Amino acid sequence: MKPIVTVSGLAARAGDSILVDGVDFEVFPGQVTALVGASGSGKTTSALALLGEHGDRVTLSGLVEVDGTVVVDSNGPTSADVRGRVVAYMPQHPGSALNPARRIGVGLRELARLHHPSVAEVVLEALRAAQLPDDRATLRRFPHQFSGGQRQRIALAQALTCRPRVLILDEPSTGLDSITRLQLVADLEDLTARGLGILLLSHDLELVRALAQYVVVLDAGRVISSTLPAVLDLPPAQGTRPGGDPLLQAMNVSASLRPRGRDTILHEVDLSVRPGECVGVVGRSGSGKTTLARCLAGLHERHTGRLTLAGADLPVLRKRSLEQNRRVQYVWQEVRGSFDERRPVDDQVARTAQRLRGLTLSDARAEAVATLSRLGVSAMIAARPPSRLSGGELQRAALARALLAKPDVLVCDEITTALDEHGTGLVVELLLELKAQGTALVWISHDLGLVSAVADHVLVIDAGRVVEQGPPSTVMSDPRTEVTRRLVRAARVGHEPPPPVLTSSSDLRSNLR
Amino acid sequence: MRWYAAQRAALAMLQLAVLSVLVFVLTALLPGDAADLRFTETLTPDQVVRLREQLGLDRPAVERFTHWLGNVVTGDLGTSLISGGPVVDIVKASVGATLVLTLTTLAVVVPLAVALGILMGTRENGRLDRAITSVTLGLSAIPDFVIAVVLVAVFSLKLGWLPATWVGGELLASPALLVLPVAVLFGRTVCLLSRQVRAGTITALQAEYVVQARRLGVPRRRLLLRHVLPNAAVPGVQELARTGDTLLGGVLVVEAIFAIPGFATALVDGVETRDVPVVQGLTLVLAVAALLINLGADLVCNRLVPRTELLR
Amino acid sequence: MRARTPLAVSAALVLIPLLVAVFGPLIPLDPAAGLPYERGPGHPLGTDGLGRDVLELLLVGGRTALGMAVGAVVIAYLVGGVIGLVAASTRHRWIDEALIRPLDVLLPLPSLLVISVVAVGWRASALAITLAVAMVNVPTVARLVRAAALDAASGPVVEALRMQRESWAGIHLGFIGRAVLGPVAADVGTRITLAVFLVASVNFLGLGLSPTAPDWAVSVSRNREGLLLQPWAVIAPALILVAFTLGFNLLADRLVHRTRRMVEAKR
Repeated sequence: MKPIVTVSGLAARAGDSILVDGVDFEVFPGQVTALVGASGSGKTTSALALLGEHGDRVTLSGLVEVDGTVVVDSNGPTSADVRGRVVAYMPQHPGSALNPARRIGVGLRELARLHHPSVAEVVLEALRAAQLPDDRATLRRFPHQFSGGQRQRIALAQALTCRPRVLILDEPSTGLDSITRLQLVADLEDLTARGLGILLLSHDLELVRALAQYVVVLDAGRVISSTLPAVLDLPPAQGTRPGGDPLLQAMNVSASLRPRGRDTILHEVDLSVRPGECVGVVGRSGSGKTTLARCLAGLHERHTGRLTLAGADLPVLRKRSLEQNRRVQYVWQEVRGSFDERRPVDDQVARTAQRLRGLTLSDARAEAVATLSRLGVSAMIAARPPSRLSGGELQRAALARALLAKPDVLVCDEITTALDEHGTGLVVELLLELKAQGTALVWISHDLGLVSAVADHVLVIDAGRVVEQGPPSTVMSDPRTEVTRRLVRAARVGHEPPPPVLTSSSDLRSNLR
Repeated sequence: MRWYAAQRAALAMLQLAVLSVLVFVLTALLPGDAADLRFTETLTPDQVVRLREQLGLDRPAVERFTHWLGNVVTGDLGTSLISGGPVVDIVKASVGATLVLTLTTLAVVVPLAVALGILMGTRENGRLDRAITSVTLGLSAIPDFVIAVVLVAVFSLKLGWLPATWVGGELLASPALLVLPVAVLFGRTVCLLSRQVRAGTITALQAEYVVQARRLGVPRRRLLLRHVLPNAAVPGVQELARTGDTLLGGVLVVEAIFAIPGFATALVDGVETRDVPVVQGLTLVLAVAALLINLGADLVCNRLVPRTELLR
Repeated sequence: MRARTPLAVSAALVLIPLLVAVFGPLIPLDPAAGLPYERGPGHPLGTDGLGRDVLELLLVGGRTALGMAVGAVVIAYLVGGVIGLVAASTRHRWIDEALIRPLDVLLPLPSLLVISVVAVGWRASALAITLAVAMVNVPTVARLVRAAALDAASGPVVEALRMQRESWAGIHLGFIGRAVLGPVAADVGTRITLAVFLVASVNFLGLGLSPTAPDWAVSVSRNREGLLLQPWAVIAPALILVAFTLGFNLLADRLVHRTRRMVEAKR
């Protein structure tokens, strides 16, 4: 088969620094080529070269040929003709790339007229291909009148209206819950079946493994491999709930967004966690699992029902005693927003030990630096303000901030979303260790597979209610509700065949290393 | 859009209600009234009391307010304490000159400011942008009256090219009367406005949706006119509503300097003679105008970029 | 990077008028009164229409010209800032509404109009005019401070600080206060310029201070017929006023750019 995109010896330079150095890859019709690498590895720079686009003061060289047109040669970009008509690019959060001032139909018809003036029905076909209704009402609406998921589809419809032969997708799975990601896999398979060539940029190894026929692994602008690194295979734990009295208990907890129980988003949830136990709470985004976590942490004040810590009533955070405050800690999902951008990260981490355990500044700092380096964040990096840390580094710093309270209960909300496989491994290892030391964990996540590897008990939440619970291995192997079945299927993306069930946690450890 | 318009209009009505109370209270609170000022020197205290009764100044404030409001609703703004004529006539007599002045200024300023703003925004930090920015920054630091005084001195007193005042002039007969006043009003307004349009253009040009449209092959001209402009216009339109305020301040100054028989002159006269009904009437009319301008600007912005929210 | 007016120039433009305004009245000149619009020995900048020495007027006239404007902005920030901070930090929605909604109603009122009405009753009172200028600025200041504080207070940072049991001062002054400071600093620059303009316009129109006051704006107004005879009587007070506003404009511009660069760096 003839490739539709040929890139050879592509280089990008900004002044003296080399962004991309000698990258080669091809894209074939109806197949998926994946560029894999961390952020800053040169994925986006290489992909944008297909459009003849480059950043300020960046020079391109090498050869990029798209559908017979030379887009970049040794002297830099030569043509921008392929934009849209041959190559369409989908940015990382495509839903936010819609013009708020323009109706959907206006934008789509404009692209259709520009690229295919003689072809009828381009717009309606594109809408159908993106699985959107193709009626007049849809075309007359503005972007803000659609949900987030629909906006992504509209962005896709825009790209498809150009009838490109190659589609570039930049980190399409970022921010998606696992079930939506499963849907994405199916959607992309549909598109390749229509003969579209796809260039997938991602650090999500599972997604790449599920989709790509060709893999190019980039690091610091160079191709380092053409085989995918191993995906972290975490088998579900058998699930042994330790005995004894529950440490933290939630009884009949309901929560609402507005006063006096209006807009209830959590209905009569019961949860208990014993010392040394990990309870996983799994559900789609919007299912109410974060609200449950915030109720436990005392941050969500509009709730009814009862919370107890070691048998005593646990009020909302404002009314907790110093000791209760210290014993229950929470790790934020929205990690960048939870740090003060004006102070260095290590100071902010150390502050927990100062305020909650009465340590001196120097002791607290020493402990902060030790905990951070344990999680793979060096002292030098931690001394910077948050804006200069990567998402993964900050996520680990947020975990360290909570750990410095030496909490008895740790509530973690989606703490691995920004982490790569290695970072996830470090965090999972630390959580297992905490568990062994007797810390009770409540782990909120959309990823049933990951949670199952650590948890002793799993709750599945849907539309604010617990729909299923049990030991992880049982939930994984014998899901009883539709939501759980979909979560299980989603957890298998990139993991076929499903990992075997292990029986002891020492097996698990060896598997992690 | 319709829901937004209804909400916004409701807010405007509320503002109008509060405003009328405010105008009345402010003027009613004033120490001294026309009866004091005009006649204390020639009248005995007894006579002052009787004059107060005659003018209705001795009745309780609430009663005076309902009376005044009732009249306002029927289009009667009261009677001038000084001239004895209806306030409505004073409003009618002065509105023409001010309207001509304001509209002419806007007709010159808006197209120019939009063009300059886009020009600067598309060449951010280029030589042209820096040059225009320096000029606008400097120009907007000079108070209207200083510009006015200098322009009059140079162009009418020294060179004798343009008339220095409107006294005796007839606007329709000699449009040259408008040149200097409009030039004064033009300076600061065009600076403020073009800077907003520039900022809006820069923001829109960097917005993800414009980058994406370019990547899908939308040509540059079309990108600027159809994708950037509607978004860039929003801060401009909002600024225009606020410019109403700057402009009004400028109009007051300009009318005073060029002796233009407009709204501002009438207002300053009213203030000087403590002619409370005249000040009330003029203030109310101007405040309503300001309200309407703001209402219009918000509706235009909502039409341009419908996500603009009224209630957070 | 864009070449900007050096900081020293902007600062000098602001500082010179400010120093003149503050210390000017302390300098004993006491020149003899001269003829109207006289130029010559004893009067380095000539005399004004009333035969007073222009240099002397310049040294004395800044207190009102700048003092009223700066005072008004300070008062506007004391009142509006407190309203904004309370509205942003309250846990009760109705307090927020009760504080902010009335200001929405006042927002579109033309400022010179309010001041004209005040001037009817309290003519020539510097305090009344200052308060009126302050009042006109309160709604915008309150909204700005509230928006900035809300922006800071609504994010997870404050929750994270509470989870660490950070003190009240640590949260409100250490974090929210610092977050508000940036937008406020940029705003103060432009707001002072506007206030100087407003005060000057009011005084120029004769709605404010008495027509014989030594105030810079009043001097420009009073001596404008003599501009061709004795230009310094108008140009000197006008220049010093323009220097002040220009300096502030430049400083504000610099701050706005710095804030924008910081925001961009964050992305």
